[in-house]
Amino acid sequence: MATALASIAEIEHELGAQRIDAATGEPFQRTSVMSHVAWVPEAWVEAAEDVLSGLAERHPSRTIVLFPDPDADDGLDASVQVDCFRAGEGRQVCTETIRLRLGGKRSEAPASVIEPLLLPDLPAFLRWRGLPPFGERQFEQLVAAVDRLIIDSTEWPGLPQPYERLAEIFDRVAVSDIAWARTSRWRPHLATLWPGIADVSRVKVTGTEAQAHLLAGWLRSRLQREIAMEHEPAERLAAVELDGEPVPFPPGDPPDPADLLSDELERFTRDRVYEDAVRATA
Amino acid sequence: MATTQQPAVEPNPLLEGLRLRRTPDPCALVIFGASGDLTKRKLFPALYSLALRRLLPEHFGIVGVARTEETDDQFRDAMKAAVQEFGRDDFREETWDWIAERMRYVATDFADEEGQQRVVSALNDLDEHYGTAGNRVYYLAVPPDAISTLVHEIGEHRSAEGWTRLIVEKPFGRDLASAQELNAQLQEHFAENEVFRIDHYLGKETVQNLLALRFANGIFEPIWNRQFVDHIQITVAESIGIEGRAAFYEQAGAIRDIFQNHLLQLVALTAMEPPIDFTDDSVRNEKVKVLRAMHTPGPKHVVRGQYGPGFVEGEEVPGYRDEEGVARDSRTETFVSAKLFVDNWRWADTPFYLRAGKRLARRETTIAIEFKRAPHPPFEEAAEEELRPNVLVVHIQPDEGVSLEFAAKVPGQGMTLRTVHMDFLYGGAFRTGIPEAYERLILDCLLGDATLFTRSDEVEEQWSLVDAIVAAWKRDRPAFPNYEAGTWGPAAADELIRRDGRSWRRH
Repeated sequence: MATALASIAEIEHELGAQRIDAATGEPFQRTSVMSHVAWVPEAWVEAAEDVLSGLAERHPSRTIVLFPDPDADDGLDASVQVDCFRAGEGRQVCTETIRLRLGGKRSEAPASVIEPLLLPDLPAFLRWRGLPPFGERQFEQLVAAVDRLIIDSTEWPGLPQPYERLAEIFDRVAVSDIAWARTSRWRPHLATLWPGIADVSRVKVTGTEAQAHLLAGWLRSRLQREIAMEHEPAERLAAVELDGEPVPFPPGDPPDPADLLSDELERFTRDRVYEDAVRATA
Repeated sequence: MATTQQPAVEPNPLLEGLRLRRTPDPCALVIFGASGDLTKRKLFPALYSLALRRLLPEHFGIVGVARTEETDDQFRDAMKAAVQEFGRDDFREETWDWIAERMRYVATDFADEEGQQRVVSALNDLDEHYGTAGNRVYYLAVPPDAISTLVHEIGEHRSAEGWTRLIVEKPFGRDLASAQELNAQLQEHFAENEVFRIDHYLGKETVQNLLALRFANGIFEPIWNRQFVDHIQITVAESIGIEGRAAFYEQAGAIRDIFQNHLLQLVALTAMEPPIDFTDDSVRNEKVKVLRAMHTPGPKHVVRGQYGPGFVEGEEVPGYRDEEGVARDSRTETFVSAKLFVDNWRWADTPFYLRAGKRLARRETTIAIEFKRAPHPPFEEAAEEELRPNVLVVHIQPDEGVSLEFAAKVPGQGMTLRTVHMDFLYGGAFRTGIPEAYERLILDCLLGDATLFTRSDEVEEQWSLVDAIVAAWKRDRPAFPNYEAGTWGPAAADELIRRDGRSWRRH
């Protein structure tokens, strides 16, 4: 159902057309609980599409996927897709995905493109793939246009320095970090070690670098003490040691990436505990 | 004199901000009536779904008890097949294996002392091998005549260690006297907070959503009263017949099967005052006030019916008296409708029209709040029939959701109005799958939360109203059957509401 479109008016017109069931001439029921904006530089296209597929069905939304292409000629190149799902007896609801390639200077002013497309009165989430260019125009513009920024600091090079820049935006936008969400099985588990854990002075984390920094930051900020961190690289959070003692593995299976993003899309308020952990990563 | 102070218990700072799920205590679930339909269709599929989502306690076990002679393995096989047939989730062998290894089966008559000892042995075995810690939930999925015996037996054999809870299925008695007697028997052995009287309607997401709609939104509650509401219609319509349950239904009829419990609970939830919090007693205190405030409707305000032959969804179906096991001259009602009033400050003189029946035109449970008309619509061109009142409809099943009907201008010249629907479709906005009522209710019981269960005083108030209606019925002989299967009930039900210048909602 994709058609190449070059302006907001054309996008809106195409959305209107695709909301009509061709067989019956009746409009589909449109259900949206949020606008979901994804900023996807070239390197992240494949990974982003994998996570997005299936998300629309779980979170009926208008998803706006932005593909910045600063080296291309100026202009918009958009496609629109309406996906319908069964909901109840003989009824279906539809969600909308707008894919926008922002060519040339258009990639510098993305907020002006998404503002007219955001659903009114519904929360807007911005999923940013890779390390955000803190302080740069397009990032700051998009952050100002949404209610919540979703990042995955696992994707960031040079940790923990970027956390300092991240902490600077906490007062402007609520932030969710998929890397933090990936520690969600371990944190309640570690909490059960209270009060014995109160005097811990060293934590060793086998997992991603982001998980190691965030878990250490969390322990430092909650326990209000200096805690040394040691990191053993691994693709997923595999082990935690406290003062040389291994912590038993928590129960349950690790959630998949789509589940993690899905959970973050249900949060609407600032996560002060995460913010404290980020500030304590340095 | 020097005093020693207790050291302050320091709160755990690591718990801050964690989204912790409440986990039930270790416990064993004993299902009496384990070979019955309810166990197969509802209880085991619900337990499987809870296990799949890791909502059951890690230390858990199940003892099935029934008269049918079966081994543990035969019971496991039967329940596995039931989960595969009736479950809402994909079947995962490893989840089932986790449940199956914790299952035991005891074949016994409920009144058999030796059999009860074998139940106790099975529970002790679960305590020993699965750490169920003496905590017990007894689920009485048995015919009403077996409940009294079981309550006594369970009370006599209750575990000295841990807690004991009892889930009692409806019908809870067949009139006020029998309900009071059963409550008294229960109170001999159990405290009120150990008794969980199930009305599965309360476990439905959309019924709970009614509370969210009313008490989590600022716009509805100010107009949720006699000043703005013209009347309320509650419909519990089934297109199916009695599905082979003649023995039960001949005794119960629509008034005991649906009206006494589901319908009156829906009225209570619709009409109740805001509770101060969502704890069990706060919610139930408010519901029971509504039930007490209902006055008994006079005979003219109640209509009963029984279906004759007809067509449902194009299929020819027999009349009630032609169903297997039903007396040819049965006077059991399969339909009941009534006009009730809640005599309190909020609802005085606002009618609640209720109807419930079998073999109606379609399956539908709705609560429709019809608001008063606009006092002076300034549209001279609009025909009066175009100016319909606003109706807020809570769809409980199917197509769970909420819709609001309001007038909109038809595009074009002139001022032509048409009623349009603004729909919130539950399954459309939340695509996570709606849990079955029994999942929620079993889990709540394991957690000890009785908010969605019926308290003894609620049950007695409900029976008190029903007894008065049934007493009036004894004085006349109804001309049954009086409605065709596949219709919306007897003409008298239409007349009941038409007398007030109103009509049932079109479906």
